[in-house]
Amino acid sequence: MIAAIGLVLGIVAGLFLEPTVPLWLQPYLPIAVVAALDAVFGGLRALLDGIFDDRVFVVSFVGNVLVAAVIVYLGDQLGVGSQLSTGVVVVLGIRIFSNAAAIRRHLFSA
Amino acid sequence: MPAPARGTSTSTSSGSDRRRDASMVLLTSLGEDSLDAGYARAAERRRLGAEPARHGGTVLAAGLLAVGLLLATSAVQAHDRLSSTAQARTALTSEIEDRSAVNAALEETLAQQRSAVSEARRAGLRITAQGSRLARQLATLESATGAGEVSGPGMSVRLTETGTGSDDDPDVDPRTSDATAGRVSDRDLQTVVNEVWAAGAEAVAVNEQRLTAVSAIRSAGEAVLVDFRPLSPPYDVQAIGPPAMRTRFVDGFGGSYLQVLRDYGIDFTVEDRDEVVLPASAGLSLRYATTSTDVPSGATQERVERRDDR
Repeated sequence: MIAAIGLVLGIVAGLFLEPTVPLWLQPYLPIAVVAALDAVFGGLRALLDGIFDDRVFVVSFVGNVLVAAVIVYLGDQLGVGSQLSTGVVVVLGIRIFSNAAAIRRHLFSA
Repeated sequence: MPAPARGTSTSTSSGSDRRRDASMVLLTSLGEDSLDAGYARAAERRRLGAEPARHGGTVLAAGLLAVGLLLATSAVQAHDRLSSTAQARTALTSEIEDRSAVNAALEETLAQQRSAVSEARRAGLRITAQGSRLARQLATLESATGAGEVSGPGMSVRLTETGTGSDDDPDVDPRTSDATAGRVSDRDLQTVVNEVWAAGAEAVAVNEQRLTAVSAIRSAGEAVLVDFRPLSPPYDVQAIGPPAMRTRFVDGFGGSYLQVLRDYGIDFTVEDRDEVVLPASAGLSLRYATTSTDVPSGATQERVERRDDR
């Protein structure tokens, strides 16, 4: 319950406070979103598998976002930023898909 | 050898101790290890009784708050970016329109002022005999160079894009497609104008843009520019010249060139006109050449008149 309140509070805060993202951080926002989605879907799947652990979830969320941002930053510095972000998106996308498939199997047993 | 995959339905070659897809372990591990291994480890620890189970704690709430904040912020960002692009576009469009309107108004004023000046000059020169001779000379020069409006018998060559070309298709990117068929290019217009001059024209204008000795017909993107003013089709080349001009043009290279253009979807009509009025050129200005202070009267006029009996 308190978790759902946290999520809703976060969304509401983001929508209404409209925190300004500094310009140097803006390129990393989309990648961070994809990484966050990966963590969220992983957490959902773990919840359905019955092995959810909040600390693992939070750590994986923060870690995913940071690592994805660092990879893209490194790629930008090395001049292969777009290729690396493509790689990150592909890897995270595959993970999101397979997690979503597992969730689907749990929910609809199909 | 790798342990059996956790909670996946990928085909493993049971029985043999080597997986058939062992060579693409990077790809398969991507799909199989999609769940963070930390969950399994934490579950294992709990099962062993090392840690108590935690559910719905404040840690989770804080994490989800961060997730929500991130998602909402990026949504707001994406929305802002879209709307700011659209805003910039409309702002630029309206600025272009405003400036074009101002330009048109200024051109109008310029034309009025010019005619007022030449009227005043004519009135001033008419006072003395030499002045009126000068005025006549000036009028002739202006007509011949394109600085003054002229009228007379002539012809008009009208080039129409029939639109059979493939680039009416909105899906085709005009920058990358080389489908210029069906469009009048600057080369076409240059050729037609040159042939009109060669057929004996004394004054030529394209879409009301008078051509002078220093006029340029160019293109920018898909627009044809005359003296850096963009024209829009259909292109109307009007010329003043002798009655034989039309037949000379049609029978010469100009006519055959237009016949070829017809194959590319550009239609044309050539017709005689009893009265053609060509405006003065707006872009006629000399940047380097200057007149010598004492104009030899008559000399230039003679040359101009010699052109007439060609």
